[in-house]
Amino acid sequence: MLASSVQRSKPTPYPSKARSALIRRAVVVLLVIVALALITISFRSPTAGALHDIQGAGSTALRPFQIAATRVAQPFRDAYDYFANASSAESENTVLKRRIAELRLEVLHNRELAIKAQQDERLLHLEQGSRFPADYQAVNAEVTSFPSGPFAHNIEIAAGSSSGVRLNSPVVSGDGLVGIVTNVEPQTAVVTLLTDPSTFVAARDLQTQIRGMLHTGPGGTLILDQVPKALRVRVGDALVTDGTHNARYRDLYPYGIPIGRVSHVGATDTAPFLQVQVTPFANLGSTDVVGVLVPKKPHR
Amino acid sequence: MTVGDGVKAAALLFVAAVAQVSIFSQVHVFGAVPDVLLVSIVALALLRGSVVGAVGGFFAGLLVDTATLGTLGLTSLVLTLAGYWIGRYGETTGRDRAHAPFLSVAVVTVLYQFGLLVVHFVLGESAPAGAVVRSLIPAIVLNLILTAPIYALVRRLLRPPARDELSAEVQLLG
Repeated sequence: MLASSVQRSKPTPYPSKARSALIRRAVVVLLVIVALALITISFRSPTAGALHDIQGAGSTALRPFQIAATRVAQPFRDAYDYFANASSAESENTVLKRRIAELRLEVLHNRELAIKAQQDERLLHLEQGSRFPADYQAVNAEVTSFPSGPFAHNIEIAAGSSSGVRLNSPVVSGDGLVGIVTNVEPQTAVVTLLTDPSTFVAARDLQTQIRGMLHTGPGGTLILDQVPKALRVRVGDALVTDGTHNARYRDLYPYGIPIGRVSHVGATDTAPFLQVQVTPFANLGSTDVVGVLVPKKPHR
Repeated sequence: MTVGDGVKAAALLFVAAVAQVSIFSQVHVFGAVPDVLLVSIVALALLRGSVVGAVGGFFAGLLVDTATLGTLGLTSLVLTLAGYWIGRYGETTGRDRAHAPFLSVAVVTVLYQFGLLVVHFVLGESAPAGAVVRSLIPAIVLNLILTAPIYALVRRLLRPPARDELSAEVQLLG
């Protein structure tokens, strides 16, 4: 028993775990090497060579499957596109509508600015012109409120006593006389327009030098009154303020401020004066900016 | 792995590759594209191990490169490594955890995107890193959405391996 030799088990070359790890690593290394080789060949000759031909053939072979897949997916894609387009069109519509509204506001704003700029320019032109009264200076102000109805003839401006505006200061726009200050607060003032029945302005016809009193007549039209029938006033003649003739009785309006143009001249047998209708130069209802004429030296 | 399983796996990857290049490549959500092929390879590798994952990734990548007439071997290289790496995870006991497919897909999506980016960069091709980073989260989300149905399908196609088939199984602790 003791002398008998002991049979040793046959040694296994590798345990199964180690062998499978080896195979696994060999496979992945081989695949990576092949992939790298393919990349190298494909990259070096992308448009020619055997590999390119094989790739082209493979692509051709795959094409029917791809077309089939595309056809199978087409109804789903159409449905998706329908909903995607519908929702995007809806949101796009909303965005565009908002943009249109913004642009419309912008256009209105720009138009308003352009009108205002034109008015500013005309006012500046008037104030810097040779016919602007030399002993007056202009206090420019924005109009903050307009006549509220056919019976209102007042506007409010954004300048008051703190800016030098005084009671009975004449007010002009770029086109001509607007009215006169009838109420003054520190920051604001009320201007009574030419069209108010209580406003009377001594006026002169620039062409004929005929003088008269401008005020609102029946029906709300401006008329040049007190012109004797013997004198001749022509339609189209320009009227300006007549100004002061007697230093003891100073007129509220300095000489030379444009008022308006004669639009109609008539006479009746019974009336002692001509009936001269006047259209004011200034657009009294929609002037955005005005100049208040303030004397450089206060009058006594 | 039996011959039948091999045929099923090949068919699965073929269909996934064709669907990827024909259908899913055109679905863009926040700059990202759902990758049904990558998710299929992950599922296959988790269930059948690293060798099947690597081989499947290689040939699936080859199909994609052939169909798109791209640089041959480029997608193969990245999918081979992805399949192998997930396959190694699948050879551990960690694959039985419920979150394993989702975790694998999320991680591989990131590595796959950056892997492709690096390879393109090395080859001197266009490698828009910013676009890749921006589309990363949507890509992960899209692939995670695909994970449950694809993993269930692959699990149904390929029966889970017996214990003795997983000779190299590693036990994960914790």
